[in-house]
Amino acid sequence: MMPALRRALGNRTLRAFVLLAIIVAVLAAADQGRGRFLNPNTAFSVLQQFATIGPVALALGLTMIIREYDISVGGMISLSGCVAVMVGNWSPVLGVLAAVAVGMTSGAVQGAIMNWLRLSSLGVTLGGLLTLSGLAYVLTGNEAIGYDDIDVAMLMNQPFLGLFSVRNVVAIAAFVVAAVVFARTRIGRDVVAAGSDRRAAMVAGVPVARIVVGVFMISGLLTALAGALLSYSLAAASPIALADALVPATAAAIIGGVSLTGGKGTPVGIAGGVLILCVLRSGLTAIGVAPYMHNIVTGGVLLAVALLDAPDLRRRRLALRRRLGREPAPAD
Amino acid sequence: MSASDPRSVPAPLRLRSAAALVRLQRPGRAGRIVLWSVRGIALVLLVAFALTTPGFLTASSLLTMLTTMSFVGCVAVGMTFITLSGNIMSFSLGATLAATTVVFVGASLSIGPWGALLAAFLFSMALTGAQGWVIGYFRANPIIVTMASLALIIGVATWLTGGKGVYPHRGDLDFLKEGRIGPLPLPLAAFLVTVALGQLLLSFTRFGRNLYMVGSNPRAAEAAGIEGWRTVTAAYAVAGLCTAISAVLMAARYSSGDLTQGSGYEYQAISAVLVGGTAIQGGEGSALRTLFGAFVISVVEGLLVLNGFSTQMQYFLVGVIVLGVIMLQTVGGQR
Repeated sequence: MMPALRRALGNRTLRAFVLLAIIVAVLAAADQGRGRFLNPNTAFSVLQQFATIGPVALALGLTMIIREYDISVGGMISLSGCVAVMVGNWSPVLGVLAAVAVGMTSGAVQGAIMNWLRLSSLGVTLGGLLTLSGLAYVLTGNEAIGYDDIDVAMLMNQPFLGLFSVRNVVAIAAFVVAAVVFARTRIGRDVVAAGSDRRAAMVAGVPVARIVVGVFMISGLLTALAGALLSYSLAAASPIALADALVPATAAAIIGGVSLTGGKGTPVGIAGGVLILCVLRSGLTAIGVAPYMHNIVTGGVLLAVALLDAPDLRRRRLALRRRLGREPAPAD
Repeated sequence: MSASDPRSVPAPLRLRSAAALVRLQRPGRAGRIVLWSVRGIALVLLVAFALTTPGFLTASSLLTMLTTMSFVGCVAVGMTFITLSGNIMSFSLGATLAATTVVFVGASLSIGPWGALLAAFLFSMALTGAQGWVIGYFRANPIIVTMASLALIIGVATWLTGGKGVYPHRGDLDFLKEGRIGPLPLPLAAFLVTVALGQLLLSFTRFGRNLYMVGSNPRAAEAAGIEGWRTVTAAYAVAGLCTAISAVLMAARYSSGDLTQGSGYEYQAISAVLVGGTAIQGGEGSALRTLFGAFVISVVEGLLVLNGFSTQMQYFLVGVIVLGVIMLQTVGGQR
């Protein structure tokens, strides 16, 4: 392999964008120059999907960087959609604010519980997931709720400058802010430190407890924002409508170079991972591949990344080769 | 290397896992007393609530409740093995259940119900066991592998079936639908047998002992000569088998195999596992506890229905209970 390419694949953030370039090239080739894939419509549809998956992937990715995992986003996205639509029928801005407040409160409570009882996030947020989606059921009475303000609903998806809409600009802005904070401020370094080695970070004076609560509040905020705007744009909300966000968002973060073992990944990488998923989905649809292929491709890519990042992959491969006699046994 | 770089801390001060952080905080007797008193009070309240709810403590009402619980219950017993092995939960058991109903009904059309039963069991065991192998052998992340499997199973199954359900020949599966063993409907009997066999496997076999060891401390298990990946693969295969039991019962009950069955079962199953008191970090718990957890959840749901609460309220309350149970676990220092 060329050294430049190998270096690019070694860097987890760059890896996502190299993969993205390859996928764009393959899809363009599969289109056979008929212009179904490389056109402004597909680009807009990619960005609209980015607006849906992106903030949730960023939320999950940030919790994964501090070596936690916020399963509750699966419930929060539905709950925030329902809250936004119910309050938003009265005032759209208040609807978004209410949803965001619910998201941040839930993040703060879960983060505080983790700190207080020294619990791992998986258990707490699993309880959070069930509680939040239960709350969405209770609030809505298990019915779809319509959003009456058609103007606002239209505005969410109205393209301007060809590519942008309110929804995707909000998502892009969230990523820009996260990337700048991550690269330029002390908070960014503290987050990485808390994720790579929590005890050491504590010893070094990183306010780990505050970082945990903060990241879970941000996670709630981002998820609630995505859920609220998406529900506006669909002009409806229901407790089950958006519940399938967990898998694509996790996939995007993982493909973007984040690792569940903590300390690895950046917002820019996560954005790359989200773009890969969105380009795959929009691209496959554009060149006329059936929707079930989304699942197959997402699952395949996710499984491949899980294998590539598996700690024992190298050891097991060597052991297999040795057993097959292709390589000498080690001296010891 | 700057002073604020965490890597400048000497290695012994570093902590490798979140589980290790939890372990350091092992509360003593006071915590355990709190735990047991909260549990005791909760149970007393539940029993009092049950006694004062008219129509709850009748044989037919209880039997219906227990039969309904059996379908998730079997999956929950399977999930117990995964949780015990230290791999938290599987996100793909619901999808596996759905795919297995299709395989079962589809196979029953060509090779008859008994052959189909075997095909369903083998299919589910192989599918789930393969995930266990990837997780155990390469130490790949269990959350990501099972999520990838969820997407792959649903995608491939939709592709092969065209998203349509399959339906059995009339009367072919009635022996599973209407069968009874003594006074018990077949699903309930199957669930109780699954719990019993699962518990025997955990308590009295080498595999069971290894599973507890691997789950509580994989490195120590390896040092003791246990090949962890074999144990983990077997745990997942058992989970697949339990899921298949639930799948064939559901296919018979609804006379169809389709991909909508069992959706969300992974969350209901892990709820039962955790409410029963199996530790989410692995290494502690049992199939009997899961039976207890499933029982408590369905009693709560049944009581809420009979007292006029909506179904929605049940979802919410079960979530709160799971959250409470998880919080209580550390108070009691259950490890």
